[in-house]
Amino acid sequence: MKAILKGIGVVGGFGTGIQTLEKVLLNRGPTVESLAVPDPQTLGGQFFVPVDTRQIQDRFPSRALRRIDHFSRMALLAAVLALEDAGKPEVNDRMGVIVATGYGATRTTFAFLDSVLEGGDSCASPTLFSGSVHNTAAAQISMLMGICGPNLTVSRFDLSISEALVVALIWLAEGRVTSVLVGGVDEWCPVLSHCYHRFFGKNDLSPMRPLDPDRQSAVVAEGAAFFLLLPEEDRADGYGVIESVTTGCLRDDAPVLPEDALILLGADGHPVSARRYARFVPKNRKMAAYAPYYGSLPIGMGFDMAIAGLTLRRKRIFPMPEIAVKDVPIDTVPTDSVAWTGKVCCLKITPFDTYGMITLATQTGNPGN
Amino acid sequence: MTDIKTRIKTIIVEELNFEDLKPEEIPDDIPLFGDGLGLDSLDAVELVVQIQKHFGVKIQNMDEGRAAFRSINALEAFISERLNG
Amino acid sequence: MKPGKPVAVTGMGCICAAGSDLAACMTSLFTGNPNPGPPRRFTSDHPNPYPVFELTASVLSGLSREQNLSLTATLGIATARQALEDAGWEPEALRRIRTGVCIGTTVGCTMNDEGFYRIYRSGKPPDLTPIRRFFNSNPAASIAKAFDLEGPCQALVNACCSGTDAIGIGASWIRQGLCDVVLAGGTDELSRVTYNGFISLMITDTGPCRPFDRDRKGLNLGEGSAVMVLESDRSCHLRKKAPRVFVMGYGSAADAYHLTAPKPDGAGLKKAIADALSSGGKTMSEVAYVGAHGTGTPDNDRVEARVLHELMPGVPFFSTKGHTGHTLGAAGAIQAVLVAAFLKAGRIPASAGFHTPDPELLIVPTVDSRMISGKIALSESLAFGGSNAALLLGIGENWI
Repeated sequence: MKAILKGIGVVGGFGTGIQTLEKVLLNRGPTVESLAVPDPQTLGGQFFVPVDTRQIQDRFPSRALRRIDHFSRMALLAAVLALEDAGKPEVNDRMGVIVATGYGATRTTFAFLDSVLEGGDSCASPTLFSGSVHNTAAAQISMLMGICGPNLTVSRFDLSISEALVVALIWLAEGRVTSVLVGGVDEWCPVLSHCYHRFFGKNDLSPMRPLDPDRQSAVVAEGAAFFLLLPEEDRADGYGVIESVTTGCLRDDAPVLPEDALILLGADGHPVSARRYARFVPKNRKMAAYAPYYGSLPIGMGFDMAIAGLTLRRKRIFPMPEIAVKDVPIDTVPTDSVAWTGKVCCLKITPFDTYGMITLATQTGNPGN
Repeated sequence: MTDIKTRIKTIIVEELNFEDLKPEEIPDDIPLFGDGLGLDSLDAVELVVQIQKHFGVKIQNMDEGRAAFRSINALEAFISERLNG
Repeated sequence: MKPGKPVAVTGMGCICAAGSDLAACMTSLFTGNPNPGPPRRFTSDHPNPYPVFELTASVLSGLSREQNLSLTATLGIATARQALEDAGWEPEALRRIRTGVCIGTTVGCTMNDEGFYRIYRSGKPPDLTPIRRFFNSNPAASIAKAFDLEGPCQALVNACCSGTDAIGIGASWIRQGLCDVVLAGGTDELSRVTYNGFISLMITDTGPCRPFDRDRKGLNLGEGSAVMVLESDRSCHLRKKAPRVFVMGYGSAADAYHLTAPKPDGAGLKKAIADALSSGGKTMSEVAYVGAHGTGTPDNDRVEARVLHELMPGVPFFSTKGHTGHTLGAAGAIQAVLVAAFLKAGRIPASAGFHTPDPELLIVPTVDSRMISGKIALSESLAFGGSNAALLLGIGENWI
C-alpha cells in the first residue's frame, strides 16, 4: 500500500501555504515563540500563536462561511490549498476526506458550555453544539468543496495523523476512492493553554529546543496540514511516494527505523519526549526536528510530513534554527542546507509509549521526473 | 429601549452570523427562510433559543416556530402577543 | 470498487439499556417492554425531563471501574472482553499476533467536562483530574492498553456513523493483511452535554421514541457499547474456529449538503449502500432485511424510508432505537451486532415504538417479530455533517 503525495496545504502561526513554510525553513525563522502574543483570557495568563485564515474569504462567499468556526476554517483553508497545490484536480464522488484531530473544535466546545452555563439548559446553542462535534471540519470540507466520497474523522492525540494515513492508504488500495484529501487540524484555546501551564509550568517564551533533554520549551500552537494523495498506479508527478505508515508500541526492538532515511523527529519541546527520541533514534542517524517553526500541537506530524515532501522535492535537508541545536549532543542535525536524495521518515513518539512512523521516498521511473 | 423589530434583526445579524448584513438592511416583510434571507433548519432552532434568551418567550415546537418565523413582522407580532398576553 | 472476501466475525459483545450482554439484549428486543426514563446520573433545568435509555444501576455496578477512566472507555473494555470470551480468545494470546483496535465514539474523545469548566470560568484553578481522565480515556487506546495490544489503534469520531465506520474499517484492516484480529465497535456514555445539545436541536422526543411512526417527534438518547472480534482466515484456520457471521462489505459517502439535516433525496445513503454491496460482491436482491438507523426524528426517518422504498421495496426493515435509544458513536456498532445476531437467530424483531403508519413514508417497518431465511442483511447509519455508512453482514459456512 503506497500513495503519491500530490498536493500540500498548510496553515499555521508561520503563515499560509507550502511556499510560506518553505521560506521559513530557508530563512530559519521566524520561530514560533517570536510569533506568540499575550492572551489575557487564559486563567493564569499565557500566550498564543495566532493563525490567520483570512485567505479563505478569497475562495468562498462570506454567506457560505457564516457558521464556520476558526477550527473548521483552518482545516478548510489547508484542504483548499492542498487541492490548489495539486493543480486543482476535478473533485468527484470518488474523492475521500479524512481529518485527524487531537482535540477537535475546542473553542466551540467551550463556547457551547458557555451558552449552557450562562443561560441555563434551555439556552444551549444548537449552532455551537453542531459545531463542537469532532467531524465538523470534515463535514464543512465536504459541503463547501462538494466532495461526496467517504468522509471520516479520527482522533488519537499525537498519533491522529498517522492513523488517518493508515485509513487513507487502505481506501486507495481498496479502490474505495481514487484520491483522498487527508490532513489534520488542531485548535488552541484558553482552557488548553491553562491546563498546559498547570501540567508543565508557565511558558517563558524562550526558543523551542526540541532535542534538549533538560528543558521544557514547548510553545502551544494551532494549525492545519492537508495532503492530496493519489494511488501509486496513477504515476502522477508529486512530491514523492508515501511508502509506509506504521503505528505501534515502543519496545526494545521497535520502532524499526528505515535504513538510511533522514528522520524527522516529532519532538516538540517536552524534555521527556526528547529523552525518548534520544533512546530510540541512534545518535549517528541523520535527523532533524522542525517544531520550532510550527509549535507544539497533536497534529504536528502533519507539518513534518509537509516538510518531508519539500525535502524530497528540493532534494535538500532544511536547516534547523541555530539556537534549537546549540549544545545538543547530536552531530547529525542539519545547521545548513544539505543535499539529500534519500528517504525521509517522520517519527512521532508519544507520552503513552506509542509511536507513529511515516516513510516517504522520491518517485522512481516517473515520466515527470 | 430599542423596538422589538430592531432587536430581532440584531439577533439575526449577530447570533446567526450574517456579518455581511446590517440590521437595518433586513426588510420587515422578507421571508426569513428559503429564497428570502436564506435561513435554514439549524438557524430556526438557534432562533428559538435566542428568542427565549432575549425576550423570555418560549417557542414550544417547530409548528409554532414555522408561523412565527415567516418574517420580521410575523415574529414581532408573535413576541408582542406573548409579552402582552 | 474491488469486491473483497467476507471477513469472519468470531465474537460479539454488547452492553446497552436493553441488556448487560448480547443474549440479554436479544431477549429484550423480542420480548422486552422498553421504558426510557428521565436521566438519573445528572440533573437539568428543563421544565420536563426528556426520557433517555440509561444503563441500569445493576449494569453499572457490575462494571469493573478503573481509576480515572471514563465510563465510555470502561464500557468499551467490557464489551471487548465479552467479545473476546465469545470468540474463545485469551487476551494474552492476542499479544503474539497483530491485533488492531478500531472504535467509534463521540463523547469519548471530547474534552468538555462541565464541572471542570464551571470552576475555570469562576476564575479559580480547577482540579485537573477530569483533564487527566480525558487523556487517559481515548476509547481505542484504552482497549489496546487493557489487553496490551500493539496493532493499529483508532478512535473514529464521525458522529453517529462512527460505530458503523469502525467495523467497516476494521474489516478492511483484515482484508488488507494489516491485522490478524481486530476489535471493532463503538462506545459512548450518556452525557449532560449531548443531552442539552440534542434537546437544543429540537429533535428529542418528550416520550419514548417512535421510529417511522406518523407521530414521531424525535430521538431518545442512550448509552452503551458493542464490539466485534474480526479475524483473518489464517487465524480462524489456525484456531479451527468456524465463524457463522461475516462482515461482507462496507460503504460510506458524504451528502455534502447540511451540517445537521440529511440530504432529502438520500444521495449519500444510496451511495453508501451501493458501496457496501459492491465491496461484498452482492446485489440488492440478496438483502433479507435492513437494520435502519431509525432514530425517530422526522427528517432522518423520512430520508431512510425514501431510500429503502426506492431501492428495496418490500424488504423488511426495523429500528432498534426503541429498545436501545440513540447511543451516538456506539449506535452503528450496537446495531450491527444485533443485525448479525438476528441473522444467526433466523428471526427479526418488531420495530419498537412504531404504531401508526406515516402516509408520507409509503413504507412501514416490521410490526411483529418474524422468521427470516435470507443470508445477507444491511445495517445503516446517518450522521451529523452528512455522513452515511452501511455495513453488509452475512451468514454462511463456506466462505473461508
